Amino acid sequence: MIPAAFDYAAPASLEEAMALLAGHPDDAKLIAGGHSLLPLMKLRLATPQLLVDLGKIPDLRYIEEKGDHLAIGAMTTHYQVSISEAVRRRAGLLADSAAVVGDMQVRNRGTVGGSLAHADPASDLPAAALALGAQLVARSRSGERVIAAADFFQDIWTSALEPEEILTEVRIPFQDGKAQAYEKFRQRAGDWAIVGAAVSVARRNGTIDRADVILTNVGPTPVRARAVESALQGQPVSPEVVRAAAEQAADGLDPAPELKASPDYKRHLARVLTRRALERALQIS
Amino acid sequence: MKTELSMVGRRAPKIDAVKLVTGRATFTDDVEMRGLLHAKVLKSPHAHARILSIDTSRASEIPGVHAVITHRDVPRNPYTSAGQSWPEPSPYDMYVLDRKVRFHGDAVAAVAAETPEIAEAALEAIGVEYEELPAVTDFRQSMGAGAPIIHDEPESYGIYDASRNIAAHIDVEAGDVEKGFRLADVIVENEFDVQYQQHTCLEPHVTIAFLDEDRRLVLRTSTQIPYHCRRMVAFALGIPVRNVHVLKPRVGGGFGNKQEVVTEPIAAVLAMKTGRPVKLEYTRADEFTIARNRHPQHITLKTGVRRDGSIVANALSVLTNTGPYGTHALTVTGNTGTKPLPLYRAANMKFYADIVYTNLPIAAAFRGYGAPQGFFAMEVHMDEVAEALGIEPLEFRRMNHIRVGDTDLMSAAAGEGAGKKPRVIHSCGLPECIERGAEAIGWYQKRGRPGDGPIKRGVGMCILMQGSGVAGDELAGAALKMNEDASFNLMVGSADIGTGSDTSLAQIAAEVLGVPLENILIKSGDTDDISFDYGAYASSTAYITGMCVLKASEDARQQIVAAAARMMDEDPEGLLVHDEKVTSLSGKSVTLQEVALECLYGESKTVIIGKGSHATKESPPPFVAMFAEVEVDTETGQVRPVEIVTAVDVGRAINPDICEGQVEGAVAQGLGYALTEEILVDADGRVLNPTFMDYKIFCAADMPTLTTILVEAEEPTGPFGAKSVAEIAINGPAPAISNAIYDAVGVRLHSLPMTPEKVLAALDCRGER
Repeated sequence: MIPAAFDYAAPASLEEAMALLAGHPDDAKLIAGGHSLLPLMKLRLATPQLLVDLGKIPDLRYIEEKGDHLAIGAMTTHYQVSISEAVRRRAGLLADSAAVVGDMQVRNRGTVGGSLAHADPASDLPAAALALGAQLVARSRSGERVIAAADFFQDIWTSALEPEEILTEVRIPFQDGKAQAYEKFRQRAGDWAIVGAAVSVARRNGTIDRADVILTNVGPTPVRARAVESALQGQPVSPEVVRAAAEQAADGLDPAPELKASPDYKRHLARVLTRRALERALQIS
Repeated sequence: MKTELSMVGRRAPKIDAVKLVTGRATFTDDVEMRGLLHAKVLKSPHAHARILSIDTSRASEIPGVHAVITHRDVPRNPYTSAGQSWPEPSPYDMYVLDRKVRFHGDAVAAVAAETPEIAEAALEAIGVEYEELPAVTDFRQSMGAGAPIIHDEPESYGIYDASRNIAAHIDVEAGDVEKGFRLADVIVENEFDVQYQQHTCLEPHVTIAFLDEDRRLVLRTSTQIPYHCRRMVAFALGIPVRNVHVLKPRVGGGFGNKQEVVTEPIAAVLAMKTGRPVKLEYTRADEFTIARNRHPQHITLKTGVRRDGSIVANALSVLTNTGPYGTHALTVTGNTGTKPLPLYRAANMKFYADIVYTNLPIAAAFRGYGAPQGFFAMEVHMDEVAEALGIEPLEFRRMNHIRVGDTDLMSAAAGEGAGKKPRVIHSCGLPECIERGAEAIGWYQKRGRPGDGPIKRGVGMCILMQGSGVAGDELAGAALKMNEDASFNLMVGSADIGTGSDTSLAQIAAEVLGVPLENILIKSGDTDDISFDYGAYASSTAYITGMCVLKASEDARQQIVAAAARMMDEDPEGLLVHDEKVTSLSGKSVTLQEVALECLYGESKTVIIGKGSHATKESPPPFVAMFAEVEVDTETGQVRPVEIVTAVDVGRAINPDICEGQVEGAVAQGLGYALTEEILVDADGRVLNPTFMDYKIFCAADMPTLTTILVEAEEPTGPFGAKSVAEIAINGPAPAISNAIYDAVGVRLHSLPMTPEKVLAALDCRGER
């Protein structure tokens, strides 16, 4: 439980951080809150030679409403997101999921950018980012690019970020009028999700226009429950529709067994949590 | 004895509270020793193997390595690591280092080096050739034909049947159960399974061993058993007891894991070999893999009852997994039967057990000491017996529980050590515990009302008993000395391992001597002191050492009274010691300080030294009625405890805060045992979850509301009427919650921990979903 030896740098600007990354393309790791990376380092599942701490860089911590979207600085903490009035109003699902990340200590220290860049399928924010249609801004010395959340999560602990890129901002289209909720099942307070379900539903005249249903910790990335989404689309909002659609949440799911839960149990939880998230979002039961 | 008490019964803050929370208390590792070496142990990569050869030459040559030891470098004296009175009722089946390894992580060799990193490098440089042997990793297979024999070495002794991997065996009967079953109208039979649980002490095992200026071996060690440790290490290493000095600093939790000699022998050998201080400290992963755990068991209960609700026969049989060594094998499982069985009056009782070896982690002493397993089975089973008779479960318990004047039939048949004497119950607060507990939880309002919706509510209860020390097998010696300012140095051999016993014992002394608590300077757990004690286990300290301190204090008080009588020219009869003075009926008085100064420097020239020694054949049980209210999510299987009410008969609460703290701590550990905690082992015997991330103890945010009710049914044999309190409550959460789940959703859980997946599977089986 002691990390391997590493060097540590705390650059004062984004430019300096990008230069450090460019100089260590294979062996550097960015650290934000450290709540995902440090446990891996203690287990020696991650052994970076150089840690580049983003904590001293000003201006990566903000929540702003810009035109049609929310812009959130990568170093904004889960706690700041969970209590932000703007986030609650414009992207309720993000506040809902940030509020159940880890425990209070983790939420006070862990960051939105760090959690997304870490791409742990058991984390809560990746599923929310997918359901919200988030855009992720990556910067390097060669410039800036914007990656859709749908393209961002590639495998367990693997994102679309290039080694020299830094995730600087998360953009979330205003979600006004959508019904959203995140349901998380864990055995004990403060834990990772055994399974989670993020849902976002757009309605028009009592009919479901579009549904995004994304599951946490049932595969190597957040998993879109397409069968549920299509079962909901074009249907009226009713308990029966929701119940029938949620029954399909585990279709095609092949979660790996883990100490806490068998694959069958995780499939079962996917159905229950999807239904509960939809019911809570749509205020039906 | 006075009837008006001023110190006993007071919620005095723990005397070490401030230094603990401000970081001034020194634990084993809180010293800087000049020239300290760091020890590391090479662990077996196999569950069962013979060591064919070990090459330490490369490791020894690494700069900074001071010693590398293997089985060739240690005396081959079989011993047990169980910290029990001599001769320990556990098989002598361990060696400081052996030619054979019997579980994943068993010690193969050890090194002492300048830094932990060098020590690790040295371990990697040791070359070992193993002959892998077939392993037993399922304890149901241990006794089977063709199972590999785990202890085939000829030197070990005290094993019940090594050829069948049976470490210990129990077969006792009171009355005639077969006859009893023939008289029964209804017979109920059930099976139960319980898991490995880890103690998760905040402070892991740690020992600093060094030779003092007289070349005596000093062991500064985190232990519950300073005196047993001194004797056991001396015997294992073949050195005189007088050459060993054990020091117990502050200890960060024991819970039975430190009623064991674990890190001491290897640290001692390395210190003697190098002449330098050596520290051996377990990591958290070590605690989960190579320290000690609660025994997994398979339990069968069969009970015969008459229609009127009386029990005519009660039989309990157990198969226990002790792991590769039989430390506490006989006695822990002994308590699985001898604690729960006598709780219910029945003329015929039978208790049968096999405790078997496996190539799995080591099981040993753990708070409750076999009783948590037994009470989980018994108290869920009794709910089912009551149901089979159509009697309300609380009422059924009221009808059948043991009461004052009864004889504990099991104590005569299966007592430990020299204690085979029938235990007669002198005090029993169970009726009050049941009544007040039921009222506090709202038993009659809440029972049988699960509510609508997917989340159901239920309440369940259980009753419990424990002991106060091991009957007939306890001894404590203490002394105190009076100083100029009427302060007293109190020396006790017991070990305050965080329980608060130093405070309770000081309160007893202060009460008898009529002084404030700060006048008692207690020192515990130094084997060079004028004290002796079997140690902090079996819920013995308040009851046994407490009485010993009471005797020593009485002895000093009598000397004080005699001196004061001389000073006042009064008859010692009728003199009272209180409020730091001695007063006579005629109105004369002298202060204790005046008495002290006169004794030390005046005419009499006497040092006032009170001494006490205490042993007893008694072990009066404390009693508990525990009530649990739970929520059960019928869609996920999640069980959330809402409230635990513990009504506990402690005889007399010497310090109510400390009693409540002991109960709350035991309930927290019992909740983990009930719902989340389990050491998981793969088919090769490897521990799969050696971290707090994957081994789930209850944390503050998981805790339900705890309500503790102290009931005082004064025990005539205890100090100021006190019985024990430290262990009993850990037995309760598992059965109370299982019974509450049944009230909520109508399924019986017979296997711990009651995980969401198990609850859901039970609901599925019954078609409840």
